[in-house]
Amino acid sequence: MRHLLPKEVETLWTLFTAPVVWALHFLICYVGAAVFCEKPGFLGMDFDNLRIAIGLVTVLALAVIVMSAMLAWRQWGFGTDDPPHDDPTRRDRLLFQGYATLLLSGLSFVAIVFTALPALFVTGCLR
Amino acid sequence: MSDRPKPDRDKAAEEARLRAVWANPGGWRYWTSVNNMQVGLWYGSAAFAFMLFAGLLGLLIRAQLAVPENDLLSAETYNQVYTLHGTVMMFLFAVPIFEAVAIFLLPPMLGARDLPFPRLGAFGFWSFLIGGTFVCGSIFFGAAPNAGWFMYPPLATSEQAGIGADIWLLGLSFIEVASLAAAVELIVGIMKCRAPGMRVNLMPLFAWYLLIVAGMILFAFPPLIAGDLLFEMQRMFDWPFFDPQRGGDPLLWQHLFWIFGHPEVYIIFLPAIALLAMIIPTFAGRPIVGYSWIVLAAVGTGFLSFGLWVHHMFATGLPQISLAFFSAASGAVAIPTGVQIFVFIATMLAGRVIFSTPMLFAMGGLAIFVMGGLTGVMVALVPFDWQAHDSYFVVAHLHYVLIGGMLFPVFAGLYYYYPLIDGKKMSDRVGRLAFWFMFAGFNITFFPMHLTGLRGMPRRVYTYPADIGWDWLNLISTMGAVVLGIGMFAVVVDVTLHRRRHPRGKPNPWNAGTLEWIGQPEELWGMRSIPRIESRYPLWDQKDLAKSIHAGEWYLPHAEEGYRETLVTSVLDAEPEQVLRVGGTSYLTIASAATLGTVFVALTFKWWIVALIAGVAFVAAVIWWLWTGTGAIPEKEEKDIGRGVSLPLYTSGVKSAGWWAMFITMTGDGTAFASLVFGYFFFWTIHDDFTGGVAGPGVFWPMAALALFAAAWAATLGAREVNRRGGVTAARVLLVAGALLSIAGCAAALAGPWTTGLDPTAHVYPAIVWILAIWAAVHGAVGVLMQLYCLARSLAGRLTPRYDMELHNVALYWHFMLVTAVVTFGVIGLFPEAL
Amino acid sequence: MATLFWAMTIGGAVVWSGVVALSLYASRWKRRTVSEKAAARLIVWAGVVFPVSVLAALLGYALWLMPSLRPFAAAEQARLRIEVTGAQFWWHVVYHRPDGTRVISANEVRLPVGERVEFSLASSDMIHSFWIPALGGKMDLVPGRVNRLSLRATRPGTYRGQCAEFCGTSHALMAFPAIAMEPADFEAWLDARGRPSAGVGVASNGRGLFLREKCGGCHRVDGTQAQGTSGPDLSHVGSRLTIGAGLMENDADALERFIAHSASIKGGSLMPAYPGLSAEDLAEISTWLKGLQ
Repeated sequence: MRHLLPKEVETLWTLFTAPVVWALHFLICYVGAAVFCEKPGFLGMDFDNLRIAIGLVTVLALAVIVMSAMLAWRQWGFGTDDPPHDDPTRRDRLLFQGYATLLLSGLSFVAIVFTALPALFVTGCLR
Repeated sequence: MSDRPKPDRDKAAEEARLRAVWANPGGWRYWTSVNNMQVGLWYGSAAFAFMLFAGLLGLLIRAQLAVPENDLLSAETYNQVYTLHGTVMMFLFAVPIFEAVAIFLLPPMLGARDLPFPRLGAFGFWSFLIGGTFVCGSIFFGAAPNAGWFMYPPLATSEQAGIGADIWLLGLSFIEVASLAAAVELIVGIMKCRAPGMRVNLMPLFAWYLLIVAGMILFAFPPLIAGDLLFEMQRMFDWPFFDPQRGGDPLLWQHLFWIFGHPEVYIIFLPAIALLAMIIPTFAGRPIVGYSWIVLAAVGTGFLSFGLWVHHMFATGLPQISLAFFSAASGAVAIPTGVQIFVFIATMLAGRVIFSTPMLFAMGGLAIFVMGGLTGVMVALVPFDWQAHDSYFVVAHLHYVLIGGMLFPVFAGLYYYYPLIDGKKMSDRVGRLAFWFMFAGFNITFFPMHLTGLRGMPRRVYTYPADIGWDWLNLISTMGAVVLGIGMFAVVVDVTLHRRRHPRGKPNPWNAGTLEWIGQPEELWGMRSIPRIESRYPLWDQKDLAKSIHAGEWYLPHAEEGYRETLVTSVLDAEPEQVLRVGGTSYLTIASAATLGTVFVALTFKWWIVALIAGVAFVAAVIWWLWTGTGAIPEKEEKDIGRGVSLPLYTSGVKSAGWWAMFITMTGDGTAFASLVFGYFFFWTIHDDFTGGVAGPGVFWPMAALALFAAAWAATLGAREVNRRGGVTAARVLLVAGALLSIAGCAAALAGPWTTGLDPTAHVYPAIVWILAIWAAVHGAVGVLMQLYCLARSLAGRLTPRYDMELHNVALYWHFMLVTAVVTFGVIGLFPEAL
Repeated sequence: MATLFWAMTIGGAVVWSGVVALSLYASRWKRRTVSEKAAARLIVWAGVVFPVSVLAALLGYALWLMPSLRPFAAAEQARLRIEVTGAQFWWHVVYHRPDGTRVISANEVRLPVGERVEFSLASSDMIHSFWIPALGGKMDLVPGRVNRLSLRATRPGTYRGQCAEFCGTSHALMAFPAIAMEPADFEAWLDARGRPSAGVGVASNGRGLFLREKCGGCHRVDGTQAQGTSGPDLSHVGSRLTIGAGLMENDADALERFIAHSASIKGGSLMPAYPGLSAEDLAEISTWLKGLQ
């Protein structure tokens, strides 16, 4: 896990990892359900399979989020320092990035769980 | 080199030189200014004027609905009035006002002299003014759009919508272009033009918010532009994108519109909250508590807001599971919104709050917004929304959100930041009075609407029967609107008259901590010298900072070569990288906006020849602008910016601002393209056989086009590489080859649907194939222009192996072009075969 | 649904008061400042933990409600299906009875109390939306699509229904009465509507004038050669509560005015005005129409 992303990689983009995962997960769920319901013959499977598929995608997405959170936690120095991280140093900038990424991972985690909830309750392509 | 500036500097001469370089021209030429302070002020004033106009329309609406069966306005007039009210408030006030504030505030806040593309900012403003005047003016000819601000087809594509619909589509497309220009400018400005040392953890929160918002514009506006394109093709040439009889579907517009429309709400809301994030720490007298939480909230909201669009379509008959996904995301977006509010409360708890007029507006806005947010959670739940949707409950909800979340914070910002304009505060007495009128008037107007809606009153009705329980609620609303209007009027009076009545105050009257308050409103250079930033609140933490800035003790205190210059720094740590020479005063911005405006106006009235001539003039103006205003080879490699730092004057590739501008523009362009592709697959999902029995464009021509474009891409890339190694002639040959290949590619792209005789008016399938092919061909043609431009620069000696910025940017364009070609021709050529 | 609404309203009011009171405390009332640590804890608990748990609960409850709210799984069990087609600015209504017979009507919806009724919603021109606020949520009528909605009236009575999606000039005037009747009355009413009205045969000039003016080109009157479909069915127009799609109370006087001035009473409607008809002719036509009970 620690070697997944070399510590030297410094970019603003890592901040957006978790929300991007949310966006992909959301897109897959929405498109999957839309195609499934609009073209019943195309995917040719039972609605419960769709629910299982959404479940699998969700687990996968959550796993990626957890991974991103671990990396963020490492970048945040494993929480040894408290915010506000406002010193004019590279170290504080890194801590800030890690902390903000960690928070975003949390939000994305919740948002993904929310997005997956419908698959628990809705049992068909009712309109 | 010494750490201190040379003692023999003649500071007075330096200052005079700097002042002259940044001066605005006098007389009528004043309007050719491009300085961010001027453009920001014009932008803001125009947006404010549009807001007052739309406010008057709002009062007309309330006057009409004051009593049942009123005949003050006819049905047709009422429909135009309410449509324009919504349109103007959203497109001509809410979005532009934030662009205005950003253009005005960001450079001083970030410690830049100006934004990286001042002329682009001015161009955006003039586009906005022309388009806005065109749209607003239509109502005086009874030709305003009349189908509601979201223009649902088939009503808006029908004859009944008249020319108003064209005015809406074309006028606003024009303004959307301006917004994209602003987004490009803001993103590059925030990422690359911060003062040295202003690392991402020290950036003012306003900049964080604006970065996110500009990014959102990039993904939210293009779907609407794509929708506008399809819409206008149907109105002008009868291509049946939204006509169910010929395979189209009105719901496609709703998808495209709301993919834009919901993020739009947050595009409006976040910058206003950003103002609060600047105001509240100042009056709490302490740094914000939870800086990272705000970043979380801004980024989180930015993303989640793209997962909400279908909650405007809960009653259109989509599958329940789809509705449920959007319901879930709509619930989730409340989390980051809540976080922001508690960050503000926490900051106030931890500080000693001075309850000034801006704070009054801020707190009033929050109280209103929280209520709008809570009703928002209610309508996010599908079962309740089926009842409330399209009723006055929703009217109440959206006004609580927008007025509480945007108008009140903007007024707080107005009272807070006014001293930056001319050093004078606005009147506290008038401000407090205005606030209470506005606050009371607002609630009296809009609170009863919740009840009116629950009692079954649908929105957008010009009249209603008496005695079904709606009359007194409507009467109260109308009375409240008058009170709200009085409050607004008081602010207008204060803004227009205050110059005479108030003395000049202290440069930093609120004792704020952020850099924009160094306070020299009369100077146009932005910063006398650009400091190194070591705190989130440099004016609180860095001793005598303002004094040393004014004394020219920091970076870039002079402009001895006579150019407008600002610093480019690295993204994360803001280490100085380059001295960027930005564009100065120019009539080209107005010329470009005017010619582009003429294109759109001429299209509205179907004056094809005029549109064509104006289009050519626009392209010529832009090329002239680029030729004379960008990519100049500097007289020396490096410039000494003081304190022993020397920076290059020219960079190309990923380090240059122009490269980023191209990258960002093409991201937006790619989003519009993706929306068209979405349309293709949307038609595929809703039909059993989406081709309607029509044979497609075949495989041969699309594949030929793909091969030709790929070759053109390779030639362009090759030209860049060969040129860098000194092979100037070889590079020129490759550019010519690339241009020829892409011309052939364009022809092949169109040959597919042409040779197979696809009739775009017959069915939606040929229509969407044609649109994709045309999109690729037009982009290919632009690619040709770029290749020839590089060739001309090379021949003119303005592009050399060392100074090759244009080639890098054009190669970047061609990367995007390659993706466009692969997707387009893969989809139209291969997808039907795969079925 | 009602529970959800009240829970949200009361909950919302409590949350709103809490947030406003807290902000006022923080900005005006408090005597001394709170430590940064405590303030940060507030963000976590009040800004994150509380909303996440409340929203999760709400969302779960609403999602759990969703399938049961429109029990289309049980759609086959709905005995009666009512097909409603929207047009500018009126409603075409067809009752599909379980025995396969159809009864055509317009601008009025009647349904039996206590029974779930399925609606098939379509449109012939613009997007409209079918909404009877007292009975339940709304559903759009989208050209090219057929949407479904199911409603159950629990109490007899007359409710107002209307178009909820802006559909053109006279969108505000596109309403209809919805009448919930005891099932036995409803069946009797429907039986009667399945046959031509007795008023059709009444000796009167009105009928001749109606046909002479080509009203039958757009309107249908069962039992006559008037079989038009582009305007509302008038077979039993005399018995309807309103005319002009919920616009005016139905009496001979209003009928006369509507025929003579439809274009100005209802802007944008396709029905041409007949200002040229003499007062006597108008009276004859409307008396005959009013007689179509």
